[in-house]
Amino acid sequence: MVAAVSVPSQAQTVLRGRLCDPAFVHSALRSSPDTNYSKLKYLVASSVSEACNNSVLLLGPRGCGKAAVVDMVLDDLRKEHPDAISVIRLNGMLHNDDNCAMKEIARQLCLEHQLSFSKMASSDDNTEFMIDMLQECGLAHKTILFVLEEFDLFAQGKQRLLYSLLDAMQSLTSQAVVIGVSCRLDADQLLEKRVRSRFSHRKLLFISPSLDDIQWLVEHLLILAKDSGLPANFRAVSYMDMESGFPSIESFLKALSSMQRQPKMDSLQDLSILELYILVCMHRLEDKEQSSYNFTSIMKEYRSIQDAYKTSDKYASTVCFRAFEHLLDRELISFGDNRGRNQALEYRPVKLLISSRELAQSLKLNTTCPVVLQKLFDRERYM
Amino acid sequence: MSQPVTPRRATRSSVADPASPTSPSGSRPKSTPRRQPVPTAAAKEEEGEHERSTIDVLLEALPGRRAQATDLLRLLAPAPALPLLLHGGATTGKTRALLLALRHVRPRPLRVAYAALRSLPSPRALFASLLTQLSPPSSSSASSRLRIPDKPSDFVAALRDALAGLSAQGEAVYLVFDNLEVVRSWDKGGQLLALLLRLYDLLWFPQVVLVYVSSATPDAYYSMTGSIEPNHIYFPDYTVDEVRDILMRGHPNPKLYSSFLSVALKPLFRVTRRVDELVAALEPLFRRYCEPLGDLKAVPDESIKRRLFEHIQPHLAVALNETFSVPTRTSVDECKDRSSGGKARSKSQFGSGDGLPTELEFHMSVSAKYLLLSAFLASRNPATLDAALFDSTGGSDNHRRKRKSSQASMNMKDTMAEEMLLKGPGTFPLERLLAIFQCITSVSEDYLGDVECPDSMMNGNGMTGLMSDVLLQLSTLCNSNFLSKSGSCPLEGSARYRSNIDEDLALKVARSVGFPLSKYIYRR
Repeated sequence: MVAAVSVPSQAQTVLRGRLCDPAFVHSALRSSPDTNYSKLKYLVASSVSEACNNSVLLLGPRGCGKAAVVDMVLDDLRKEHPDAISVIRLNGMLHNDDNCAMKEIARQLCLEHQLSFSKMASSDDNTEFMIDMLQECGLAHKTILFVLEEFDLFAQGKQRLLYSLLDAMQSLTSQAVVIGVSCRLDADQLLEKRVRSRFSHRKLLFISPSLDDIQWLVEHLLILAKDSGLPANFRAVSYMDMESGFPSIESFLKALSSMQRQPKMDSLQDLSILELYILVCMHRLEDKEQSSYNFTSIMKEYRSIQDAYKTSDKYASTVCFRAFEHLLDRELISFGDNRGRNQALEYRPVKLLISSRELAQSLKLNTTCPVVLQKLFDRERYM
Repeated sequence: MSQPVTPRRATRSSVADPASPTSPSGSRPKSTPRRQPVPTAAAKEEEGEHERSTIDVLLEALPGRRAQATDLLRLLAPAPALPLLLHGGATTGKTRALLLALRHVRPRPLRVAYAALRSLPSPRALFASLLTQLSPPSSSSASSRLRIPDKPSDFVAALRDALAGLSAQGEAVYLVFDNLEVVRSWDKGGQLLALLLRLYDLLWFPQVVLVYVSSATPDAYYSMTGSIEPNHIYFPDYTVDEVRDILMRGHPNPKLYSSFLSVALKPLFRVTRRVDELVAALEPLFRRYCEPLGDLKAVPDESIKRRLFEHIQPHLAVALNETFSVPTRTSVDECKDRSSGGKARSKSQFGSGDGLPTELEFHMSVSAKYLLLSAFLASRNPATLDAALFDSTGGSDNHRRKRKSSQASMNMKDTMAEEMLLKGPGTFPLERLLAIFQCITSVSEDYLGDVECPDSMMNGNGMTGLMSDVLLQLSTLCNSNFLSKSGSCPLEGSARYRSNIDEDLALKVARSVGFPLSKYIYRR
């Protein structure tokens, strides 16, 4: 067999693929009993076989595998009952408009059942079509599964879609299961009264995996490597040492440090001396309990500092204003009024977006910072 | 005198297009349809060497970006890859580094679609741009068939179709979103931003790699809904040494330029660290620096260096206080007379103040200048002071008696001064402006009478000559943003104006007409 690429790069590709694929990550849960996976499977399978309607919400923070579990359940059911299921998938982010959602439902129904879909159909037509299809499928003993991702976004506005869907399920002949997936734990509280009454209050809560679970998951993922159970991440695998073919501890540590950066501290390190002066002046003004100040008051403070200490950093007003605009671009300061009056930029009130602790730390870390600046910053506390 | 050569800055499109270096700037990076032959076992060592030389080539083109370049190469390829976010300040080389890395990444990507969000006006334009770049080249003639979606859901569906049509062999497709922070200011920008950041989940396509470039820090993109957090690469600003290396590249006379930079770079670096602003400031300075030298190719020794340093010193002080240097007519004339008179003239330019230019740099008509001054006074002084300042003789009151002010009135004056600083210039109605204008011009009538003017309007009845086009001048000043119209007074309904100029400019204007402005300005 001709080795097309070297073994480490092959391994790296495989690992990267595994880490990027959420289905693989959570497929380990398939085997263990009494998980949300098995509960959901039991629920859906029973409603399919018993020809009844049902609705369930999957709630949990991001990355807990809710969508992966739904996918796994659907795959299993498709294998077991190939003809009895048709799936409609909606996403709250894309289809948050009710008309849009109805159109998408109609389109997917047409696609599933090889009907031609007319784009000119109105929203009422689509709703009627959906109700008719539900009836027909019910008579033919086919269950329609609605998967609503980002369920909380559907619950904004008038909730027309949810109401019509859940209402249609109340009729005797329809067979449908509504699976809602949301990352807001109070998604069912967002429903209106009439919608909530038609909703069977089944909720499956997903929690973030504990440390043991994570460790087991990591071993399941990185079956090629020997490591000591630090949380795996994509970055560490990418840094994998190509010669040895194993992700080493160094690569994990490096990845960890690059993930834990503090962006504001980084921005503060990148400032020029004049910009630091402006920040220190703003800080002094805030310490003097001035409730609102603008660029002209900052300039006044700056001039008074320059007169008092006679440093070499005295610059003209236009140059200081350019530095001020740089600080605005970096989002270390911002205007206090929201497009208030149509005022010149020099007169709009500004405020600091960094804390004094961050400023103090950055002044210490800055090697080229003049000593007088440090003194100014410290002294104001004792004034 | 030849211009010093600064290293050519490659624009994004010229860097990004590997096929034709002379392609028009409007085009986006094209696909690389060649596929790499499957390397055999014998070519393994070659591949290792190739990778090393790839990194070297990349590092050569990106000075001071070693860590970021290696990060990029490792995280971008091979597919599948999690989304990537490059962030850093302005002009730190993010886009350039990314596009260069995409050219050198192995295996070669099938297609790179680049969306420059700063030049796209609306979401629909963004959808159109991406879909046209991803459509197969054979159908480019039938592009009219491509319907541009309006809604995000249609866009995601169209994107899925386009990607499915493209990548059959499992090669990677890269989608680059540049300047992501401008999406926040679009209409319904928040939704679109959330959509773009979740595109990885929505597309279900393992071979697509999403790359975002942004000048805002990642905390600007944390939203309540959350998403797969992309990998971050941070591009810090360049340090002094790195800037020096960048500027020295490709310069024909490195020794001369390095001696110049050792003098000029550090002070300018204290003001700003952005490379583009430094380059703009250093170019004219270098021209001045080389003036005493006859031969630009000379290698300076210590004595020459000292001489050049003394020559550049005053200009450096001026340059530190400027943001733009617009060559005016006076400075151009000065350059011509440099050989002949030189020092005295330069001293007169830098004479007053602490090196700031004191001449008005643009031309205005006399009536416009007076109108501007009256607007400045009207904004600056409270209305109650007008009667005292402008009495019937039109003269300033030199007999203002200084009363002993009590503590309370001093405090009140302090707070009023603070308020003036905070609120900015005040508004005034048109009648007050015209009244002050009339007073001021009546004062200066005597001066005007002495001026020799060929203009027939400006004799004896100088006043009517000035008054006739006052309203025209007013609208001109409004259009040039020296005055601005603010809301009308609720009681009377007449328009109110506000002056936008600061005291320095007003003093310059006053000096140019010989008007004693400082006597009229209200100070606390």
